[in-house]
Amino acid sequence: MVKYALFLGCQIPMRIPSVEIASRRVFERIGLETVDLKGYSCCPEPIISRLLDKTGQLAVSARNLALAEELGLDIMTLCNGCYETLLEANETLKHESEEMLQINKILENYGKKYRGLIKVKHVVEVLYEDIGVKKIRECVTKPLKIRVAMHYGCHLYRDLSGDIMRKPEMMKKLTSLTGVEIVDYGLERLCCGYPSMQVDEEFSLTHRLLPKIDKMIEAGAEAVVLTCPACTIQFETGQILLRERGVRYDLPCINIMELLALSFGFSSRDLHLELHRGAILRLIKKVEGD
Amino acid sequence: MKEKEIIEYMRGELGSDVLDVSTPHERRVFINIRPEALRRAVEALKRKYSALRFITISTVDCGLNFEFLHHFHVDGVVVTLRSMRPKEENILESITDMVPAANFIEREIADLFGVKVMNHPNMRNLILTEDWAENKRPLRKPLKGILPPQARRVAESLISMGCVAPVSRFIERKREAAGLPKTPPFAFTDKEDMKEMHGIIKETSLSEKVGFNWEKKRLRYR
Repeated sequence: MVKYALFLGCQIPMRIPSVEIASRRVFERIGLETVDLKGYSCCPEPIISRLLDKTGQLAVSARNLALAEELGLDIMTLCNGCYETLLEANETLKHESEEMLQINKILENYGKKYRGLIKVKHVVEVLYEDIGVKKIRECVTKPLKIRVAMHYGCHLYRDLSGDIMRKPEMMKKLTSLTGVEIVDYGLERLCCGYPSMQVDEEFSLTHRLLPKIDKMIEAGAEAVVLTCPACTIQFETGQILLRERGVRYDLPCINIMELLALSFGFSSRDLHLELHRGAILRLIKKVEGD
Repeated sequence: MKEKEIIEYMRGELGSDVLDVSTPHERRVFINIRPEALRRAVEALKRKYSALRFITISTVDCGLNFEFLHHFHVDGVVVTLRSMRPKEENILESITDMVPAANFIEREIADLFGVKVMNHPNMRNLILTEDWAENKRPLRKPLKGILPPQARRVAESLISMGCVAPVSRFIERKREAAGLPKTPPFAFTDKEDMKEMHGIIKETSLSEKVGFNWEKKRLRYR
Protein backbone atom coordinates (compact mmCIF):
# COMPACT_ATOMS: atom_id res chain seq x y z
CA MET A 1 0.00 0.00 0.00
CA VAL A 2 1.19 3.49 -0.84
CA LYS A 3 1.83 5.44 2.38
CA TYR A 4 2.69 9.10 2.96
CA ALA A 5 2.99 11.62 5.78
CA LEU A 6 0.13 14.01 5.07
CA PHE A 7 1.06 17.68 5.29
CA LEU A 8 -2.24 19.53 5.52
CA GLY A 9 -0.85 23.05 5.82
CA CYS A 10 -2.90 25.89 7.33
CA GLN A 11 -5.42 27.13 4.79
CA ILE A 12 -7.04 23.82 3.85
CA PRO A 13 -7.90 22.50 7.34
CA MET A 14 -8.73 25.90 8.80
CA ARG A 15 -10.42 27.71 5.90
CA ILE A 16 -11.51 25.16 3.30
CA PRO A 17 -11.82 21.90 5.27
CA SER A 18 -14.07 20.47 2.53
CA VAL A 19 -10.82 19.87 0.62
CA GLU A 20 -9.41 17.86 3.53
CA ILE A 21 -12.67 15.92 3.85
CA ALA A 22 -12.70 15.14 0.12
CA SER A 23 -9.02 14.19 0.14
CA ARG A 24 -9.49 11.72 2.99
CA ARG A 25 -12.51 10.16 1.28
CA VAL A 26 -10.55 9.83 -2.00
CA PHE A 27 -7.44 8.41 -0.29
CA GLU A 28 -9.50 5.77 1.45
CA ARG A 29 -11.27 4.79 -1.78
CA ILE A 30 -8.07 4.46 -3.82
CA GLY A 31 -6.08 2.76 -1.08
CA LEU A 32 -3.64 5.53 -0.26
CA GLU A 33 -2.62 5.41 3.40
CA THR A 34 -1.73 8.70 5.10
CA VAL A 35 -0.33 9.53 8.51
CA ASP A 36 -0.95 12.99 9.98
CA LEU A 37 2.14 14.89 11.07
CA LYS A 38 1.71 15.45 14.80
CA GLY A 39 3.02 18.81 15.96
CA TYR A 40 3.48 20.28 12.48
CA SER A 41 3.39 23.99 11.81
CA CYS A 42 2.94 26.32 8.87
CA CYS A 43 5.34 25.24 6.11
CA PRO A 44 6.09 28.34 6.60
CA GLU A 45 4.07 30.72 4.48
CA PRO A 46 6.12 31.14 1.30
CA ILE A 47 5.83 34.87 0.63
CA ILE A 48 6.51 36.77 3.83
CA SER A 49 8.92 34.42 5.59
CA ARG A 50 11.05 33.76 2.50
CA LEU A 51 11.44 37.46 1.76
CA LEU A 52 12.26 38.37 5.33
CA ASP A 53 14.47 35.71 6.80
CA LYS A 54 15.81 32.72 4.91
CA THR A 55 17.24 31.07 8.03
CA GLY A 56 13.91 31.40 9.83
CA GLN A 57 12.07 29.93 6.87
CA LEU A 58 14.50 27.02 6.50
CA ALA A 59 14.48 26.24 10.23
CA VAL A 60 10.68 26.01 10.37
CA SER A 61 10.56 23.92 7.16
CA ALA A 62 13.36 21.66 8.43
CA ARG A 63 11.42 21.00 11.63
CA ASN A 64 8.40 19.88 9.56
CA LEU A 65 10.61 17.72 7.33
CA ALA A 66 12.25 16.20 10.41
CA LEU A 67 8.81 15.21 11.76
CA ALA A 68 8.19 13.17 8.58
CA GLU A 69 11.69 11.71 8.75
CA GLU A 70 10.92 10.48 12.26
CA LEU A 71 7.97 8.58 10.75
CA GLY A 72 10.18 7.29 7.94
CA LEU A 73 7.72 8.58 5.34
CA ASP A 74 7.85 10.91 2.34
CA ILE A 75 5.67 14.02 2.62
CA MET A 76 2.59 14.59 0.50
CA THR A 77 1.11 18.09 0.40
CA LEU A 78 -2.36 19.15 -0.69
CA CYS A 79 -1.36 22.80 -1.07
CA ASN A 80 0.83 24.30 -3.80
CA GLY A 81 2.45 26.81 -1.44
CA CYS A 82 3.38 24.16 1.13
CA TYR A 83 4.67 22.02 -1.72
CA GLU A 84 7.05 24.64 -3.04
CA THR A 85 8.27 25.75 0.38
CA LEU A 86 8.99 22.24 1.62
CA LEU A 87 10.41 21.05 -1.71
CA GLU A 88 12.81 23.98 -1.95
CA ALA A 89 13.82 23.76 1.70
CA ASN A 90 14.45 20.03 1.30
CA GLU A 91 16.60 20.59 -1.79
CA THR A 92 18.53 23.49 -0.26
CA LEU A 93 19.26 21.59 2.93
CA LYS A 94 20.17 18.39 1.10
CA HIS A 95 22.65 20.11 -1.19
CA GLU A 96 23.98 23.06 0.82
CA SER A 97 25.97 21.49 3.61
CA GLU A 98 26.65 24.82 5.35
CA GLU A 99 22.92 25.64 5.51
CA MET A 100 22.20 22.14 6.81
CA LEU A 101 24.82 22.48 9.56
CA GLN A 102 23.48 25.89 10.59
CA ILE A 103 19.86 24.69 10.69
CA ASN A 104 20.72 21.47 12.53
CA LYS A 105 22.59 23.50 15.13
CA ILE A 106 19.28 25.22 15.86
CA LEU A 107 17.14 22.05 15.69
CA GLU A 108 19.49 20.03 17.89
CA ASN A 109 18.70 22.35 20.83
CA TYR A 110 15.20 20.89 20.64
CA GLY A 111 16.11 17.25 20.08
CA LYS A 112 15.40 17.40 16.35
CA LYS A 113 17.62 16.67 13.38
CA TYR A 114 17.15 17.10 9.66
CA ARG A 115 18.85 14.28 7.76
CA GLY A 116 17.69 14.77 4.17
CA LEU A 117 16.15 11.31 3.90
CA ILE A 118 12.73 11.99 2.44
CA LYS A 119 11.03 13.35 -0.67
CA VAL A 120 8.34 16.01 -0.89
CA LYS A 121 5.50 15.32 -3.33
CA HIS A 122 2.36 17.12 -4.38
CA VAL A 123 -0.88 15.15 -4.15
CA VAL A 124 -1.27 15.44 -7.94
CA GLU A 125 2.03 13.59 -8.43
CA VAL A 126 1.12 10.93 -5.90
CA LEU A 127 -2.25 10.25 -7.53
CA TYR A 128 -0.81 10.21 -11.03
CA GLU A 129 2.45 8.34 -10.42
CA ASP A 130 1.86 6.16 -7.38
CA ILE A 131 -1.83 5.31 -7.73
CA GLY A 132 -2.15 5.64 -11.48
CA VAL A 133 -4.78 6.70 -13.96
CA LYS A 134 -6.21 3.18 -14.29
CA LYS A 135 -7.06 2.84 -10.61
CA ILE A 136 -8.58 6.31 -10.43
CA ARG A 137 -10.67 5.72 -13.57
CA GLU A 138 -12.03 2.56 -11.96
CA CYS A 139 -13.20 4.58 -8.96
CA VAL A 140 -15.18 7.09 -11.05
CA THR A 141 -18.78 5.99 -10.69
CA LYS A 142 -20.53 9.26 -11.40
CA PRO A 143 -18.98 11.14 -14.35
CA LEU A 144 -19.53 14.88 -14.03
CA LYS A 145 -21.18 16.64 -16.93
CA ILE A 146 -19.84 20.14 -16.57
CA ARG A 147 -17.43 22.43 -18.43
CA VAL A 148 -14.48 23.60 -16.36
CA ALA A 149 -11.46 25.85 -16.73
CA MET A 150 -8.17 24.85 -15.13
CA HIS A 151 -6.16 27.08 -12.82
CA TYR A 152 -3.00 25.20 -11.88
CA GLY A 153 -1.42 27.84 -9.63
CA CYS A 154 2.10 29.24 -10.02
CA HIS A 155 3.76 26.93 -7.49
CA LEU A 156 2.60 23.82 -9.33
CA TYR A 157 4.91 24.75 -12.20
CA ARG A 158 7.97 24.40 -9.95
CA ASP A 159 9.65 21.12 -10.75
CA LEU A 160 13.05 19.68 -9.95
CA SER A 161 13.26 18.18 -13.45
CA GLY A 162 12.87 21.60 -15.04
CA ASP A 163 9.76 20.39 -16.90
CA ILE A 164 7.34 23.03 -15.67
CA MET A 165 4.30 21.43 -17.36
CA ARG A 166 4.83 18.02 -15.73
CA LYS A 167 2.45 18.48 -12.79
CA PRO A 168 -0.07 20.78 -14.57
CA GLU A 169 -0.46 18.11 -17.25
CA MET A 170 -0.95 15.46 -14.57
CA MET A 171 -3.61 17.65 -12.97
CA LYS A 172 -5.36 18.15 -16.29
CA LYS A 173 -5.40 14.40 -17.01
CA LEU A 174 -6.69 13.60 -13.52
CA THR A 175 -9.41 16.23 -13.93
CA SER A 176 -10.49 14.80 -17.27
CA LEU A 177 -10.97 11.37 -15.62
CA THR A 178 -13.94 12.82 -13.70
CA GLY A 179 -15.88 13.21 -16.94
CA VAL A 180 -15.75 17.01 -17.10
CA GLU A 181 -15.09 18.91 -20.28
CA ILE A 182 -12.01 21.09 -19.93
CA VAL A 183 -12.09 24.38 -21.80
CA ASP A 184 -8.86 26.15 -22.76
CA TYR A 185 -8.95 29.91 -22.23
CA GLY A 186 -5.39 30.98 -23.03
CA LEU A 187 -4.45 32.56 -19.69
CA GLU A 188 -3.76 29.38 -17.76
CA ARG A 189 -0.25 30.55 -16.82
CA LEU A 190 -1.33 33.93 -15.46
CA CYS A 191 -1.09 34.26 -11.66
CA CYS A 192 -4.43 34.65 -9.86
CA GLY A 193 -3.05 37.67 -8.00
CA TYR A 194 -3.02 36.21 -4.48
CA PRO A 195 0.55 37.30 -3.62
CA SER A 196 0.03 40.83 -4.89
CA MET A 197 -3.11 41.16 -2.71
CA GLN A 198 -0.65 41.64 0.17
CA VAL A 199 0.46 44.97 -1.26
CA ASP A 200 -1.85 46.19 -4.03
CA GLU A 201 -5.48 45.06 -4.06
CA GLU A 202 -6.40 47.04 -7.18
CA PHE A 203 -3.58 45.53 -9.26
CA SER A 204 -4.24 42.06 -7.91
CA LEU A 205 -7.94 42.11 -8.73
CA THR A 206 -8.05 44.04 -11.98
CA HIS A 207 -4.75 43.02 -13.59
CA ARG A 208 -4.53 39.43 -12.47
CA LEU A 209 -7.83 37.89 -11.36
CA LEU A 210 -10.25 39.72 -13.63
CA PRO A 211 -8.56 38.96 -17.00
CA LYS A 212 -8.50 35.28 -16.07
CA ILE A 213 -12.17 35.10 -15.12
CA ASP A 214 -13.15 37.13 -18.21
CA LYS A 215 -11.44 34.58 -20.42
CA MET A 216 -12.80 31.58 -18.49
CA ILE A 217 -16.37 32.83 -18.84
CA GLU A 218 -15.79 33.67 -22.49
CA ALA A 219 -14.60 30.08 -23.05
CA GLY A 220 -17.84 28.79 -21.52
CA ALA A 221 -16.50 27.52 -18.19
CA GLU A 222 -19.09 26.70 -15.53
CA ALA A 223 -16.51 26.29 -12.80
CA VAL A 224 -12.78 26.64 -12.18
CA VAL A 225 -10.76 23.66 -10.95
CA LEU A 226 -7.89 24.45 -8.61
CA THR A 227 -5.47 22.68 -6.35
CA CYS A 228 -4.08 25.62 -4.39
CA PRO A 229 -6.08 26.91 -1.39
CA ALA A 230 -4.58 30.40 -1.68
CA CYS A 231 -5.72 30.64 -5.31
CA THR A 232 -9.15 29.35 -4.25
CA ILE A 233 -9.42 32.09 -1.63
CA GLN A 234 -8.34 34.66 -4.22
CA PHE A 235 -10.94 33.47 -6.76
CA GLU A 236 -13.73 33.30 -4.20
CA THR A 237 -13.14 36.47 -2.19
CA GLY A 238 -11.78 38.27 -5.25
CA GLN A 239 -15.09 37.87 -7.06
CA ILE A 240 -16.86 39.34 -4.03
CA LEU A 241 -14.45 42.30 -3.97
CA LEU A 242 -14.83 42.81 -7.72
CA ARG A 243 -18.53 43.53 -7.16
CA GLU A 244 -17.50 46.79 -5.46
CA ARG A 245 -15.84 47.67 -8.76
CA GLY A 246 -19.00 46.98 -10.73
CA VAL A 247 -17.96 43.53 -12.01
CA ARG A 248 -20.37 40.75 -11.16
CA TYR A 249 -19.10 37.22 -11.68
CA ASP A 250 -20.13 34.09 -9.80
CA LEU A 251 -17.81 31.45 -11.13
CA PRO A 252 -17.75 28.53 -8.67
CA CYS A 253 -14.39 27.16 -7.51
CA ILE A 254 -13.74 23.53 -6.83
CA ASN A 255 -10.60 21.76 -5.71
CA ILE A 256 -9.45 18.78 -7.78
CA MET A 257 -9.84 16.51 -4.73
CA GLU A 258 -13.45 17.63 -4.30
CA LEU A 259 -14.06 17.04 -8.00
CA LEU A 260 -12.61 13.53 -7.76
CA ALA A 261 -14.68 12.79 -4.66
CA LEU A 262 -17.88 13.90 -6.42
CA SER A 263 -17.04 11.70 -9.39
CA PHE A 264 -16.40 8.81 -6.99
CA GLY A 265 -20.02 9.18 -5.89
CA PHE A 266 -19.60 11.07 -2.61
CA SER A 267 -22.35 13.62 -2.09
CA SER A 268 -21.74 17.35 -1.80
CA ARG A 269 -23.40 17.14 1.62
CA ASP A 270 -20.97 14.50 2.82
CA LEU A 271 -18.07 16.60 1.52
CA HIS A 272 -19.42 19.81 3.12
CA LEU A 273 -18.92 21.72 -0.11
CA GLU A 274 -21.08 24.49 1.35
CA LEU A 275 -17.91 25.66 3.13
CA HIS A 276 -16.86 27.37 -0.11
CA ARG A 277 -17.59 31.06 -0.30
CA GLY A 278 -18.52 31.21 -3.96
CA ALA A 279 -21.46 30.07 -6.06
CA ILE A 280 -20.84 26.43 -5.21
CA LEU A 281 -24.56 25.67 -4.77
CA ARG A 282 -25.16 26.39 -8.45
CA LEU A 283 -22.43 23.93 -9.36
CA ILE A 284 -23.79 21.29 -6.97
CA LYS A 285 -27.23 21.69 -8.51
CA LYS A 286 -25.77 21.14 -11.94
CA VAL A 287 -23.82 18.06 -10.81
CA GLU A 288 -26.39 16.45 -8.52
CA GLY A 289 -29.67 17.84 -9.88
CA ASP A 290 -32.39 19.32 -7.63
CA MET B 1 46.89 48.23 13.88
CA LYS B 2 45.15 50.81 16.01
CA GLU B 3 41.65 49.66 14.89
CA LYS B 4 42.31 46.10 16.10
CA GLU B 5 43.68 47.32 19.41
CA ILE B 6 40.58 49.46 20.04
CA ILE B 7 38.25 46.56 19.21
CA GLU B 8 40.11 44.12 21.47
CA TYR B 9 40.18 46.62 24.31
CA MET B 10 36.44 47.31 24.04
CA ARG B 11 35.62 43.61 23.84
CA GLY B 12 37.67 43.08 27.00
CA GLU B 13 35.90 45.91 28.82
CA LEU B 14 32.35 45.18 27.73
CA GLY B 15 32.37 41.40 27.14
CA SER B 16 29.04 40.15 25.78
CA ASP B 17 27.64 43.69 25.67
CA VAL B 18 29.55 44.04 22.41
CA LEU B 19 27.19 42.51 19.84
CA ASP B 20 29.45 42.79 16.82
CA VAL B 21 32.12 44.98 15.30
CA SER B 22 33.10 46.06 11.82
CA THR B 23 35.95 47.96 10.18
CA PRO B 24 34.59 49.01 6.79
CA HIS B 25 37.89 50.67 5.91
CA GLU B 26 41.12 51.92 7.42
CA ARG B 27 40.75 54.22 10.46
CA ARG B 28 37.02 53.48 10.85
CA VAL B 29 35.51 51.24 13.51
CA PHE B 30 31.87 50.47 14.33
CA ILE B 31 31.15 48.78 17.65
CA ASN B 32 27.56 47.55 18.10
CA ILE B 33 26.70 47.45 21.76
CA ARG B 34 23.71 46.75 23.95
CA PRO B 35 22.05 50.10 24.78
CA GLU B 36 22.44 49.49 28.53
CA ALA B 37 26.23 49.42 28.04
CA LEU B 38 26.48 52.85 26.39
CA ARG B 39 27.75 54.78 29.39
CA ARG B 40 30.19 52.02 30.33
CA ALA B 41 31.51 52.04 26.78
CA VAL B 42 32.09 55.81 26.87
CA GLU B 43 33.74 55.52 30.30
CA ALA B 44 36.03 52.79 28.98
CA LEU B 45 37.11 54.89 25.99
CA LYS B 46 37.78 57.87 28.25
CA ARG B 47 39.79 55.80 30.69
CA LYS B 48 42.06 54.34 28.05
CA TYR B 49 42.46 57.18 25.56
CA SER B 50 43.39 60.50 27.08
CA ALA B 51 43.22 62.24 23.69
CA LEU B 52 39.67 61.01 23.10
CA ARG B 53 37.62 63.58 21.16
CA PHE B 54 33.85 63.52 20.95
CA ILE B 55 32.58 64.20 17.41
CA THR B 56 28.78 64.00 17.56
CA ILE B 57 25.76 61.71 17.98
CA SER B 58 23.68 60.71 14.94
CA THR B 59 20.16 59.42 15.41
CA VAL B 60 18.20 57.41 12.87
CA ASP B 61 14.49 56.66 13.17
CA CYS B 62 14.35 53.11 11.78
CA GLY B 63 10.58 52.81 12.09
CA LEU B 64 10.49 50.40 15.03
CA ASN B 65 13.75 51.38 16.72
CA PHE B 66 15.98 54.38 17.21
CA GLU B 67 19.57 53.85 16.17
CA PHE B 68 22.03 56.00 18.12
CA LEU B 69 25.53 56.45 16.77
CA HIS B 70 28.02 58.04 19.17
CA HIS B 71 31.08 59.06 17.14
CA PHE B 72 34.52 59.57 18.72
CA HIS B 73 37.99 60.28 17.44
CA VAL B 74 40.67 58.04 18.97
CA ASP B 75 44.26 58.59 17.86
CA GLY B 76 43.42 58.97 14.18
CA VAL B 77 40.60 56.43 14.15
CA VAL B 78 36.89 57.29 14.06
CA VAL B 79 35.11 54.98 16.48
CA THR B 80 31.31 54.76 16.45
CA LEU B 81 29.37 53.18 19.29
CA ARG B 82 26.17 51.97 17.70
CA SER B 83 23.18 51.10 19.86
CA MET B 84 19.50 50.47 19.14
CA ARG B 85 16.54 51.14 21.41
CA PRO B 86 12.90 50.19 20.74
CA LYS B 87 10.87 53.33 20.05
CA GLU B 88 8.37 52.29 22.70
CA GLU B 89 11.14 52.91 25.31
CA ASN B 90 11.83 56.33 23.78
CA ILE B 91 14.95 57.01 25.85
CA LEU B 92 18.63 57.79 25.46
CA GLU B 93 21.00 57.93 28.40
CA SER B 94 22.85 61.23 28.56
CA ILE B 95 26.64 61.20 28.50
CA THR B 96 26.92 64.96 29.04
CA ASP B 97 28.24 64.51 32.59
CA MET B 98 31.21 62.57 31.15
CA VAL B 99 31.44 64.34 27.81
CA PRO B 100 30.24 67.97 28.18
CA ALA B 101 30.39 68.52 24.40
CA ALA B 102 27.44 66.13 24.03
CA ASN B 103 25.17 68.66 25.75
CA PHE B 104 23.74 70.44 22.69
CA ILE B 105 23.47 67.45 20.38
CA GLU B 106 21.52 65.53 23.03
CA ARG B 107 19.11 68.46 23.31
CA GLU B 108 18.84 68.57 19.52
CA ILE B 109 17.99 64.84 19.44
CA ALA B 110 15.32 65.41 22.07
CA ASP B 111 13.89 68.28 20.03
CA LEU B 112 13.84 66.64 16.63
CA PHE B 113 12.91 63.07 17.59
CA GLY B 114 11.02 63.52 20.86
CA VAL B 115 13.43 61.13 22.62
CA LYS B 116 13.68 61.53 26.41
CA VAL B 117 17.34 62.05 27.24
CA MET B 118 17.82 60.60 30.71
CA ASN B 119 19.80 62.57 33.34
CA HIS B 120 20.63 65.47 31.05
CA PRO B 121 21.69 68.42 33.24
CA ASN B 122 19.80 71.09 31.29
CA MET B 123 17.02 69.67 29.19
CA ARG B 124 15.30 72.53 27.41
CA ASN B 125 14.34 72.83 23.77
CA LEU B 126 17.30 73.87 21.69
CA ILE B 127 15.96 74.43 18.19
CA LEU B 128 12.22 74.21 18.58
CA THR B 129 10.15 76.80 20.42
CA GLU B 130 9.29 75.97 24.02
CA ASP B 131 5.60 75.54 23.17
CA TRP B 132 6.27 73.04 20.34
CA ALA B 133 3.78 70.17 20.45
CA GLU B 134 5.22 67.05 22.14
CA ASN B 135 3.65 64.72 19.58
CA LYS B 136 4.82 66.55 16.45
CA ARG B 137 8.58 66.14 16.28
CA PRO B 138 10.09 67.09 12.90
CA LEU B 139 12.22 63.98 12.32
CA ARG B 140 10.12 61.39 14.13
CA LYS B 141 8.32 58.82 11.98
CA PRO B 142 5.32 56.75 13.06
CA LEU B 143 6.02 53.42 14.80
CA LYS B 144 6.07 51.22 11.74
CA GLY B 145 7.69 47.94 10.75
CA ILE B 146 8.68 46.37 7.48
CA LEU B 147 5.36 44.66 6.69
CA PRO B 148 2.52 46.29 4.76
CA PRO B 149 -0.85 46.25 6.59
CA GLN B 150 -2.25 43.30 4.61
CA ALA B 151 0.69 41.06 5.57
CA ARG B 152 0.76 41.86 9.29
CA ARG B 153 -1.93 39.49 10.49
CA VAL B 154 -0.35 36.61 8.55
CA ALA B 155 3.09 37.22 10.05
CA GLU B 156 1.64 37.64 13.55
CA SER B 157 -0.30 34.42 13.26
CA LEU B 158 2.68 32.55 11.78
CA ILE B 159 4.93 33.45 14.71
CA SER B 160 2.44 33.33 17.57
CA MET B 161 0.53 30.18 16.49
CA GLY B 162 2.76 28.56 13.88
CA CYS B 163 -0.28 28.66 11.61
CA VAL B 164 -1.35 31.43 9.24
CA ALA B 165 -5.08 30.71 9.26
CA PRO B 166 -6.71 31.67 12.54
CA VAL B 167 -8.81 29.12 14.40
CA SER B 168 -12.55 29.76 14.15
CA ARG B 169 -15.33 28.14 16.14
CA PHE B 170 -17.40 27.85 12.96
CA ILE B 171 -14.76 25.78 11.19
CA GLU B 172 -14.14 23.70 14.31
CA ARG B 173 -17.84 22.80 14.41
CA LYS B 174 -17.90 21.99 10.70
CA ARG B 175 -14.83 19.79 11.04
CA GLU B 176 -16.40 17.88 13.92
CA ALA B 177 -19.63 17.47 11.96
CA ALA B 178 -17.60 15.87 9.16
CA GLY B 179 -15.97 13.44 11.57
CA LEU B 180 -12.63 15.25 11.69
CA PRO B 181 -10.88 16.41 14.87
CA LYS B 182 -11.63 20.07 15.79
CA THR B 183 -8.20 21.05 14.56
CA PRO B 184 -5.54 19.02 12.80
CA PRO B 185 -2.50 18.12 14.96
CA PHE B 186 -0.89 21.56 14.69
CA ALA B 187 1.98 22.46 17.00
CA PHE B 188 -0.34 24.90 18.79
CA THR B 189 -2.48 22.01 20.04
CA ASP B 190 0.41 20.81 22.22
CA LYS B 191 2.29 22.99 24.73
CA GLU B 192 5.62 21.25 24.23
CA ASP B 193 5.43 21.37 20.41
CA MET B 194 4.60 25.06 20.57
CA LYS B 195 7.49 25.75 22.94
CA GLU B 196 9.82 23.98 20.51
CA MET B 197 8.44 25.88 17.54
CA HIS B 198 8.81 29.25 19.31
CA GLY B 199 12.30 28.34 20.48
CA ILE B 200 13.37 27.60 16.91
CA ILE B 201 11.93 30.88 15.59
CA LYS B 202 13.63 32.84 18.40
CA GLU B 203 17.00 31.48 17.32
CA THR B 204 16.54 33.16 13.92
CA SER B 205 16.04 36.84 13.09
CA LEU B 206 12.50 36.38 11.78
CA SER B 207 10.61 37.78 14.76
CA GLU B 208 13.02 40.68 15.16
CA LYS B 209 12.76 41.62 11.49
CA VAL B 210 8.97 41.70 11.51
CA GLY B 211 8.90 43.48 14.89
CA PHE B 212 7.16 40.80 16.97
CA ASN B 213 6.62 41.37 20.68
CA TRP B 214 7.00 37.97 22.36
CA GLU B 215 5.46 39.12 25.65
CA LYS B 216 2.27 40.37 24.04
CA LYS B 217 2.37 37.73 21.30
CA ARG B 218 1.65 40.33 18.64
CA LEU B 219 3.42 42.70 16.30
CA ARG B 220 4.67 45.94 17.80
CA TYR B 221 2.60 47.74 15.16
CA ARG B 222 -0.68 46.93 13.44
